[in-house]
Amino acid sequence: MKNLIKILVIDKEEIILKSVKKALKNNDHTEFVITTCNTALEGLKLIRTDKFDLALIDPILPGMNGNELIRRIKNIYQDMPIIIMSGYSSVGTNQFEFVTGQNGFSKPTVDILKKPFTTEEINSVIGKTLRNYLNIN
Amino acid sequence: MGGFSTFSLIKQEDAAIDAISHNAEQLSKTTEKILRLSMLKNRRDELSMAVHDIVGKEGIISVRILNHKGVIKFSSNPSEINEHISQTSPEGMATNQLCKSCHKNEYNKSEYDIKNFSQYKIVKKDNLIYSWQPIYNARSCYTEACHSSFEEPVIKRANNLKTGEAYLPVHDSSQTILGFIDIEVSTKRINSNLAKTRTQLILFTIIFALIASIITYLSIKYLIGKPIKNLVDGTKRVAEGNFKDEIPPGKAELKLLAESFNKMQRQLLSTQTQLIESEKLASVGKLAEEIANEINNPLTGIIIHSESLIAESKSNNNSINDFETIKLEALKIRESIKNILSFTGGNKPEFRITFIGDIINHAILIVKKFSNFQNIKIISEIPKTLPNVSVDPALLEQVFLNLLLISSESMPAGGILDILVNYSDIKKQIEIVFSDTGKGISENILQKIFNPVNIPELENFEKTGISLVVCKDIIEMHNGTLKINNTGSGTVVSIALPV
Repeated sequence: MKNLIKILVIDKEEIILKSVKKALKNNDHTEFVITTCNTALEGLKLIRTDKFDLALIDPILPGMNGNELIRRIKNIYQDMPIIIMSGYSSVGTNQFEFVTGQNGFSKPTVDILKKPFTTEEINSVIGKTLRNYLNIN
Repeated sequence: MGGFSTFSLIKQEDAAIDAISHNAEQLSKTTEKILRLSMLKNRRDELSMAVHDIVGKEGIISVRILNHKGVIKFSSNPSEINEHISQTSPEGMATNQLCKSCHKNEYNKSEYDIKNFSQYKIVKKDNLIYSWQPIYNARSCYTEACHSSFEEPVIKRANNLKTGEAYLPVHDSSQTILGFIDIEVSTKRINSNLAKTRTQLILFTIIFALIASIITYLSIKYLIGKPIKNLVDGTKRVAEGNFKDEIPPGKAELKLLAESFNKMQRQLLSTQTQLIESEKLASVGKLAEEIANEINNPLTGIIIHSESLIAESKSNNNSINDFETIKLEALKIRESIKNILSFTGGNKPEFRITFIGDIINHAILIVKKFSNFQNIKIISEIPKTLPNVSVDPALLEQVFLNLLLISSESMPAGGILDILVNYSDIKKQIEIVFSDTGKGISENILQKIFNPVNIPELENFEKTGISLVVCKDIIEMHNGTLKINNTGSGTVVSIALPV
């Protein structure tokens, strides 16, 4: 039986959204359903109407900073794993307060995917997240 | 100085008066001797001449010989003879006062007090000195038959003497004092001389003081004032941000001050230059981050889509090669961007469990492409059994790259760079030793190398844009140590990182 994985991708760059769609390949036991949007507000709207297994977010978004967006997402789905994508080499997981389990969040559920990434790298990060946090192989 | 002049003037005046007084006393005593001799021989004319002769010399105004009743018997002024002293002059009145010191009641012989009378009296008044010498009665005065007093009637000695040849003694043996010699000396001349001297002295003092003041002023101005003004100008200049012009060195202590000021200025300049450099570097770093972020988005697209194309065009070999090339070149761009950022990026440590050997090998891989390393042989010995450590790989790579570059700069003509990595089980630390065959670092610089205020000589070592200080900081951020030593034939940098 195939696992149906619903992923939300938020990035202001269209090429990133396109690339993520291209890179995530369905295989024998996993099928990805990818929803994309360009702004934080659109993303929050989507999260309220649909349930996603994980989110890929570039924290540099118009109108809202990454930390604020992540806090709001966590208010809706506390356990949803979030992967940060960034083209800044200095970005680190420690910049995001929820990682250490602050604010009552039980799981530090974030990993970093540095841009530019290869097909292999994005698949490996997502695969790791699925295994570690969602127990999906 | 004025006080000293006044003092010497007073002293001089006193000495002059003393000399005149002494002179008057001597004169008075001489006159007494002449008097006695002339009287015994009855040579009144000689005495009279002597009295005349004395006057006029050394400021002597008058000489008088009085009898004990105050009647002038001899005088330099003939008109006074046989006058009573009290009637002659105002000075005579003063002399009269002296009579009263013994004769309480004027000229009453029976009422006098000899005790009040001193042997010789000298009175200084205005510009005059009065010398008052008593003529004591002597044995010869009442025993020798010689002359007669003017008032006394001539008493001839009976029998054996002819008239005019000899006389009975005229003085009574009961008299103590027969008369007085009164000499008046004027100190006018000496006083006018002294006044002249005083004027000259005052003038000289003023001129001398003026010259001394001018000399002092000029020497203070040129020896102290000017160097201090230079210093003040220097501080103003530095405050305005001009570090280039230096203060001309003065003399002695001020020279030291000027030198240390210039040294401070040079250090400030070097610190400022470094600050500007690091500021520039920081903004370049920020800019590079922004540019990298901009490039990274399309680069992701290129990589992912070329990979997708490779996967899809399995049948067409030519196309695969082309797509592979695109992917490879895109990955090269990614590496280049990473390398640029490793030089300019911030120093926020992000610890990750890492195999140190990988970082060192990667650093070597990067520098090998540089022209500096054309003639340098890098020998690295990294045991595979090294334990993994929690470090920030990017920061450590920065340290290794810098050490490699600094080492290459010390070997411009080539040489051997040896990198030895070891794990000490006892100390629980990884030890990394970089040793080169370069020209080494001079002891002088070695002492100051980690001083926050960097010395100008170090500039050559800082071309890589990150100083050894930063390398040390990064290592210390990992709780490790970094040491630099000179061997006879090069430099040894030892790093220890705790596991």
